Amino acid sequence: MRFKDQVYFVRENMKKNKMRIFMTVLATAMGTAFLIVLASVAFGLHGTLIKEILQQETINQVNIYGKEDAEGSGITDQDITYFESLDNVRAVKKSNRLDQAPQVVINDYAATADVVAVDFEALEKGGTTLQSGRYPRAANEVVVGVDFDQTLVEIGADDNAIYDEENERRATSYYQGKLVDQTLTMTIERQIDPDTFEEKAFPLTIVGVKEEPAEEWQRDQSVTISYALLQQFSDYTQTQNAALYPPDENMTFSYQEIALQSDNLEHVTALSETLNDEGYFAYSVAAELKQINLLFTIAKAGLVFIGTIAIIIASIGIFNTMTMAVTERAPDIGIMKAIGASPKTIKQIFLLESSFIGILGALIGTAVSYLISMLVNVGLPLILGTVFEDTVPEGFKFSSIPPSLVLIAFLICLIVTLVSGSRPAKKATRIDVLSALRREL
Amino acid sequence: MIEVKDLSHQFELGKKGKKTTIPVLKTVSFMINKGEIVTLVGRSGSGKSTLLHLISGFLPRQTGTIILNGQDVTGLTETAFSQFRLGTIGFIFQNFQLIQSMTAYQNVELPLILNGVSETARHVQTLNTLAKVGLEGFEHHYPSELSGGQQQRVSVARALVLNPLIILADEPTGSLDSETERDLLDLILELNATLHITFLIITHDEEVAAIGHRSLAMHDGQLIDGEVN
Ligand SMILES: Nc1ncnc2c1ncn2[C@@H]1O[C@H](COP(=O)(O)OP(=O)(O)O)[C@@H](O)[C@H]1O
Ligand SMILES: [Mg+2]
Repeated sequence: MRFKDQVYFVRENMKKNKMRIFMTVLATAMGTAFLIVLASVAFGLHGTLIKEILQQETINQVNIYGKEDAEGSGITDQDITYFESLDNVRAVKKSNRLDQAPQVVINDYAATADVVAVDFEALEKGGTTLQSGRYPRAANEVVVGVDFDQTLVEIGADDNAIYDEENERRATSYYQGKLVDQTLTMTIERQIDPDTFEEKAFPLTIVGVKEEPAEEWQRDQSVTISYALLQQFSDYTQTQNAALYPPDENMTFSYQEIALQSDNLEHVTALSETLNDEGYFAYSVAAELKQINLLFTIAKAGLVFIGTIAIIIASIGIFNTMTMAVTERAPDIGIMKAIGASPKTIKQIFLLESSFIGILGALIGTAVSYLISMLVNVGLPLILGTVFEDTVPEGFKFSSIPPSLVLIAFLICLIVTLVSGSRPAKKATRIDVLSALRREL
Repeated sequence: MIEVKDLSHQFELGKKGKKTTIPVLKTVSFMINKGEIVTLVGRSGSGKSTLLHLISGFLPRQTGTIILNGQDVTGLTETAFSQFRLGTIGFIFQNFQLIQSMTAYQNVELPLILNGVSETARHVQTLNTLAKVGLEGFEHHYPSELSGGQQQRVSVARALVLNPLIILADEPTGSLDSETERDLLDLILELNATLHITFLIITHDEEVAAIGHRSLAMHDGQLIDGEVN
C-alpha cells in the first residue's frame, strides 16, 4: 500500500469522528504548548543574560586581584612583565585607587574626588578611547569621568541652590564650564603622627574626558591620574596609595587591580585558567559564562522534563481515542485482512493516525506557544511597569522559543504519541478475521 | 489449482482443565483443476466453511497440506499469506462483507489500493470491473443504498478487480432471492467462461450446486466421493 493512500485512508478515518479527534488534538496541543512555554522562559532569560554579559566592556578581560604567595607582596612589576609575555594578551590594564579622597578645585568650584591611578599607555593600546581631549603625557596631566562636572559645587553657594527638596543635586548647580585644559588643584593630606595632619596642593591640568560608562545607570565622576603622579603623592605621604596612616619604613609598591585585555572570548577563558593555575586570583566574566550556561542547560532540561509529563498525560487521550477507533473499525479491519491487507499495513495505518494527531497537536501547540511567548514579552513589562512601578531594561526577553526547542517538543510529542498509539495499533493487527466477519468483536 | 492433502482440523472448547476437542475435518483430500467450478455441499455443521477458512488462511492449519496455484501455502507467514491472498484469491461471502462507510467504487478500489496500484490505473480498473458486473451508475452509492443483489455484485467486483486465479464463495446466494440468485449464477458462469477463474462454491442450494462442473459432498468432516455433473 502506498504511503499517499495510507495518508488518504487516515484522513478519511479521522473525518469520521471529528469531535473525538479534535479533543485529542486539543489535549496534545495543550501539552506541547505547556512544554514549549515553560522551557521558553529558561531560553528567554538565558538569552537575555548572555546578551547583557556580552555587551559588557569587560567581556574580553581577565581581572587579577592578587597572588597566592607567602610574603603577600601583591602584584609587582615582575608579575606585570610576566602578564605581558603571555600569548593573547593585548594590553595589561593596571589601576590603584587613591586611599584618600582629596579636595579638588576648578575655578570657583570644589569637590571631594574619587581618584584612580592607571597606566594610560596600556589603556590607549587596549583600544579604550576618550570622549574628548587626549591621553595625558606628563605626570601633572589627568583625565576626568564624563560625570565629573556633577560633583563640583560652587564654593560658598547656598544649600538651597545646590539641592532640591529631595536632597538631589539641582542640574543648574553643576559645573557649567568646559573641563579640558582647565587647571585642577588637588590637595593631598598626610599624617605626621596620629594627631597632626599636613596638606599640599598639586596643580594639575585636565587634558581629556572619558567615555560614557557601558551601562546607562553607571556614573563616572572619577579623576584618573598617572602612576607617576601617584608616585609623587606616595612620596609626599610616605604610604602605599597615599593612604592616611603613619608612614611605613618598608613600603613596597604593588598594583591593586590588573585587567588583562584579550582579543576574544575563548582566549579569555583559557587565560583565566592558566593564571589560576599559576596561583593568581583571576576572574573573568567569560569563565563565569560557562557556569551560567551549565546552570541554564540544567534548568532547560528540567523544564522540558516537566513539560514532557504534560504531553504524556495528553497521550492517555491518544491511547483512548486509538483504542476506540480500533474497536469501532474492527469489522472493517477484518474485511481488509480477509481481502489481503497485511498486518504491517494495518499497523502502519493506525500508527500514522496517532502520529497525525501528535503532529497536529504539536503544530497547534507551537503556534499557540509563539503567541503566548509574544504576549508575555509584551505584557509582562507592562504589568511590572504599572503594578510594581519597575521598569524592565530594554530588550529584556522573558520568553524565547528557538527552533531547537520546537524541534525538541516535536520529537517528544511524536515519540510519546507513537508509543501511546503502538498498543492500539498492535491490537488492530491481532484482530481475528473470522470473528470480525461474524461481527463478534 | 487447489490441492488439499490429508487436511484435518479440530476446535478446542472450554477452559483449561475442562477442555474438549471437536474434530471438524478428518483427513480431507481433493484436487480442483484450473478453470473448474466445483461446488461443496453438505449438511449444516458438516465442516464446509471450516475447510474454506483453512484454504483461505483465516484459520491456522493444524495437519495436512494445501497447495494453491502450485505453491504450498501451509508454511506461509501471516504477512506472506495475506500478500498471496491479495494477488491470487477473491472472496464472495454470504452477507457481502462490504465496508459500510465506503461507496461501491471505494469498496472495489480497496484491493487495488492495498496492492499499491497507482491512482490513474485504479480508476480505470475499478470502473471497468464495476461495468463488468453491471453496476454502471452505482459507483457512488453506499452499500446501504443498494439492494442485496447489487451489494453482492459489488462484492463480486471487489473479488474480481485484481484478476484472481481462484474465487472462493461461501453460500454466495444465501441472502438473495431466487431471481437475483439466477443473475449471480449467470455472472459466475460468464466469468468462468471468459476469464477461466477457478471457483469453489459452498452451497446447500440445489440450483447453485447445478452450475458446478463437479460437486464435492461433505459429511461429518469427511468428503464423500464427488459426482460429476
Ligand atoms: N470457532 C469455532 N469454535 C468451535 N467450534 C466451531 C467453530 N467454528 C465452527 N465450529 C464447529 O465446527 C463444525 C463445522 O462448522 P462449519 O465448518 O461452519 O460447518 P458448515 O459450514 O458446513 O455449516 C460445527 O459443528 C461448528 O459448531
Ligand atoms: Mg458454513
